[in-house]
Amino acid sequence: MASITLENVTVDFTIYGHHSFRTALLSTAGGLIRRQGRKNDRITVRALDNLSMKISHGDRIGLIGHNGAGKSTLLRVLAGVYEPIGGRIITEGKVSSLLNSSPGMNFDDTGYENIMTCGLYLGMTKQEIIRKTPDIEEFTELGEYLTLPIRTYSAGMLTRLAFGIATSIEPDILLLDEGLGAGDARFIERANQRVNKLINRASILVLAAHADALIKSMCNRCILMDHGRVVRIGATEEVIDEYHRLTSERAAVQG
Amino acid sequence: MLKPQYDLAFRDIVGGIIKWQLWTRAGWADVRARYRRTTFGPFWATISLGIMMISMGLVWSALWKMNVKEYLPFISAGLLSWALVSAIISDGTNAFTAQKGLLEALHFPLTMLTCAVVWRNLILFFHNLLVYLLVAVIFQVPVSWATLMVVPALLLIAINGVWVSTLLGMMGARYRDVQQLIVNLLQIAMFLTPIFWTSDQLGGSGRGKFVLVDLNPMAHYINIIRNPLLGEFPTVLDWKAVLILTVLGWLFTLAIFARFRRRITYWL
Repeated sequence: MASITLENVTVDFTIYGHHSFRTALLSTAGGLIRRQGRKNDRITVRALDNLSMKISHGDRIGLIGHNGAGKSTLLRVLAGVYEPIGGRIITEGKVSSLLNSSPGMNFDDTGYENIMTCGLYLGMTKQEIIRKTPDIEEFTELGEYLTLPIRTYSAGMLTRLAFGIATSIEPDILLLDEGLGAGDARFIERANQRVNKLINRASILVLAAHADALIKSMCNRCILMDHGRVVRIGATEEVIDEYHRLTSERAAVQG
Repeated sequence: MLKPQYDLAFRDIVGGIIKWQLWTRAGWADVRARYRRTTFGPFWATISLGIMMISMGLVWSALWKMNVKEYLPFISAGLLSWALVSAIISDGTNAFTAQKGLLEALHFPLTMLTCAVVWRNLILFFHNLLVYLLVAVIFQVPVSWATLMVVPALLLIAINGVWVSTLLGMMGARYRDVQQLIVNLLQIAMFLTPIFWTSDQLGGSGRGKFVLVDLNPMAHYINIIRNPLLGEFPTVLDWKAVLILTVLGWLFTLAIFARFRRRITYWL
């Protein structure tokens, strides 16, 4: 049974170089910025602040929050890309992540070649990938395009391919970042069906997105994040309402 | 009981090495990229190496009044070996920084990337080897049992290449000056290492030979490949030196890797 447990997870980024520091200071978004070191020259940004939560099988979590709230960082921690600086994370189940639109892909290679490359990065063996290829062909509906270099693909086609590969490994835990937005309505519907099939095998989806409609159609729970902290966890509708209230409040203060 | 960070580092290294389907593919992909839409692809590097072997061989043998038949194969084998060793070192410095997008999107053993660096350079070595074979045939370089020693030598170079590019890859990710520094040092090292000259030419009291050849790790790495290519056995000193460097290098890298492995993605 798939599950993810976060215990006091904290992620700090050290900023090297002053330009990035200036930009970081000037922006209102983002995590807490602090200066350390003898001459206050070591700048760290706290991207995730003491996060604790438990995600269980069957959960389809939508991550919402304004830019820089820590959604992508949290997804990367869940994917194992960032190991937390403090606290710990316990993941049970096979993880597949689609955090950018073309993970591990080579733009001069054909669709088929990239299915192989990307599949290997996701932990499949060559034999498994060959076995899964017809399923990916069917889902992506790319037909002849799969024999062409993927630099000829549109953003939507690339999303279809990447999503098809990421879901073909039959993960227990599927992590998705924004990218799905590039797909058209038909794709979103088909992606939804495919995710539902995975969820029926008792797994977990964590999706970060800005589009309310996408979150509403795919998620049964939502996590609202702000400045690297969890503001609210709850039913999708409630949390989305809270998010909009927060956004308008903030606009009123600034206006 | 291993400390947990050593355990994780060890798992990364073993996990990376056994994913050979992935690093052979990733290494090939880089070579394939050079072939794409060109006639000669990676052979351009081979051609330029060949021109360097022949022109340098002719000019320097005339300058130093040396027998072309001996000197040209010597310099060719030296340049071929140097091209392999130095490319692993300089590519190693951006083993991680060059894969930023990938490292931020997917979780996999980091050692996979350094194995790919070594694999890519071995493939390029075999491209370059063709031009050396031509030289060897023309100048009738002897082939003997010693020639077979090139196989364990390449294996050792590969084993060393993984720790070198893991260590330099980490340094290059944390300090962006490292890459430029290494490129500069390699340029100097090429002239300080016996590639254009032989250690016999140093003459004198032998102190020069001691510093530039015996204490020079690059000289030993070069010798274990070059000597078999010339049909000679490498010296026991060369093999001892390389074996010691292999053990020490891996121990040092393991300690650094265990300490900083989790920071690598943060540095990108």
